[in-house]
Amino acid sequence: MIEILQQIVNGVAIGGVYVLIALGLTTVFGILGIAHFAHGSVSMFGGYLTFFMVTAWGFPLLLAILIALIVGFLLGMLIELLAYRPVRNANHINAFIVALGLTMMVEGLNLQFFGHEQVVIPTNLARVFDIGGVTIPELRLYVIIAAALLIIAMTLFVEKTKTGQAIRAVAENRDAAILMGVNVKTIPLVVFAISTALGVCAGVMVGSLFAIAPGIGEWLVVKGFAVLILGGLGSIPGAIVGGLVLGVTEALAAGFISSAYKDVIAFVVMIAVLLLRPQGLMGKA
Amino acid sequence: MTRHMKFTTLTAMLALAGGAVTAADKTLDIGVSDALTGGAAVYGLPQANAVQMAAEEINAAGGIKVGEDTYMLNVIAYDDKANPTEATNAVRKLIDRDGVKFILGFCCSGATGAVASFIANEDAVMLVGNAAERSITTREISNLVRTRPPADYTGAAAGTFVAQKGHKKVAVLGALDVGFYASYVDAFETELKKTGGEIITRESFGLKDRDMSPQLTKIRELQPDAILVVGYVEPAAFIYRQAIELGIDVPRYGFTSGSEEQFLRVATSEQMEGVWDLRPTELTLLSASDNGIAYHANYSEKFGIAPSPSSPYAYDQTYALKHALEAAGTVEDTAAVAAALREMPIPAEVVMQYLPVDGKMFDVNGQAYTSNGAFQWQSGNWVFVQDLPSDAAAYSAFLSTID
Repeated sequence: MIEILQQIVNGVAIGGVYVLIALGLTTVFGILGIAHFAHGSVSMFGGYLTFFMVTAWGFPLLLAILIALIVGFLLGMLIELLAYRPVRNANHINAFIVALGLTMMVEGLNLQFFGHEQVVIPTNLARVFDIGGVTIPELRLYVIIAAALLIIAMTLFVEKTKTGQAIRAVAENRDAAILMGVNVKTIPLVVFAISTALGVCAGVMVGSLFAIAPGIGEWLVVKGFAVLILGGLGSIPGAIVGGLVLGVTEALAAGFISSAYKDVIAFVVMIAVLLLRPQGLMGKA
Repeated sequence: MTRHMKFTTLTAMLALAGGAVTAADKTLDIGVSDALTGGAAVYGLPQANAVQMAAEEINAAGGIKVGEDTYMLNVIAYDDKANPTEATNAVRKLIDRDGVKFILGFCCSGATGAVASFIANEDAVMLVGNAAERSITTREISNLVRTRPPADYTGAAAGTFVAQKGHKKVAVLGALDVGFYASYVDAFETELKKTGGEIITRESFGLKDRDMSPQLTKIRELQPDAILVVGYVEPAAFIYRQAIELGIDVPRYGFTSGSEEQFLRVATSEQMEGVWDLRPTELTLLSASDNGIAYHANYSEKFGIAPSPSSPYAYDQTYALKHALEAAGTVEDTAAVAAALREMPIPAEVVMQYLPVDGKMFDVNGQAYTSNGAFQWQSGNWVFVQDLPSDAAAYSAFLSTID
């Protein structure tokens, strides 16, 4: 029993990171119908930036994260304005190509600015808690808590604020939203800003829990899209449930079936879910 | 500026600054194909640096005397990203476009195996460094030599060592889809079984995996006497860190060849304390010969970072090539140079502690052997504790029996 609980805790930590990535992807996809492949690379940029501020400039970690979030927020708006807005009314393939090009560009910039070495964001959080036989390293606990708070904040924002309601309205029916007076020009800006800021949070979490290195962004975005499909395209609750399901499934698969095939098993589970619910766990039929 | 251009320019500038190049000197291009970026760059980049440094030393000392001519070395390095396709392209460029006949580097087995598959048909000599897959030197390729011993040669020695420690239940966590790591574990298990020990589980991870807590949780439940970690430095460092975080309090053995600096990027020294690395007796400052100490100091000064333990395999390649060229008396006849490599004694300049076979650095398969050693992390450093049982002649004979 302890082993199962331990594996679930292991899975929730990585699942929280998946959720943050998927939340960013799902809001962008839900509103704009764009598969924003560069999201993983942008997340890594946020992680690298935090690492750089902490190690090279000696910034306190929390301050560095705050600055990285602001940079991420602005970067998101810049991406929408310069990369996606010009092709908004063009064929979908144009946005697809822009997304691919942007991914390569951001990956290249990361390599140019931060080098090819794996980096780990130093945190000094080395304590380990033992709760009823389940071991939780301090850093993982904070990652789980931070991810939970961000998910709650995102949910409240979307559900309770005017802007959030406008985002949902545009996602539901863009034309109707225009008729209801929603400023659909600013919504994509807000969506990209929030999405990128969430991605930066995920980048910081990956960078402190594990490591940031070239290629990690691609891995992250693949997981993010898997969660998106599992949870239901464009569904925020789906991203939350899907991310946690994927993380926990991977951990349980590695622990109880085979570590060599944990990714395969997780994707088999995903396919099985989609066979039963083609629209995803929380998607609309 | 590409890395290739940087190396070329740097070599030329240093040679000129040292007044080493005269009108009578000729330039000999040597190639490097190695992982200069990507996950395997922790092994490949230090190797490329080591070749560059050795070339500059050789140039500064007057170059390579071949017959009446003196050659200054010029290094052309390409990034193969440890990828078989990239390595094939890099070597093709070196041979076809740059006219290079002597190619060094090769940190990683997949990329090296791809090049080894066609190098026998080329007018070139391939000197392999850190790549440890056994089959590289079992293919009877006359124009290929390797400075690093195969992984199973070391795995057997490691198994004997761990068995002697009295461990009976060993859990393995490794990059087991990589052939040479799997062969290390197989040889390890064979020796462990001789004393009644067993491997109770073989858990895997991918090269990009950094979260090993699911595998370690499973291992913790199995209550092993010890764990064995085989894989690249970066994931291995996470395993050591996460094992401590999960409260796994058993001896940790490994086969990683990472430097202190590489491990400390991920884990604290406290988390690393007591970890064993069972590997060829590569460079650590506390076990190094005079050559090793000088190499460490020169490399650190030149590149601003400590050399990785395995990087001298490439440094030693360069000196082996120098002596082979001088012995063969030609830079054109690659068959003669390849033959000279197999006949040469161990050069005085090498850093690794090679075990000669029949008095020669490379055996009939083109394989060199170092001693194997048990290194332990003690207070922030890898400390050489003892030699592991290593019979180069017996292994060489065994290697010759493999098709």
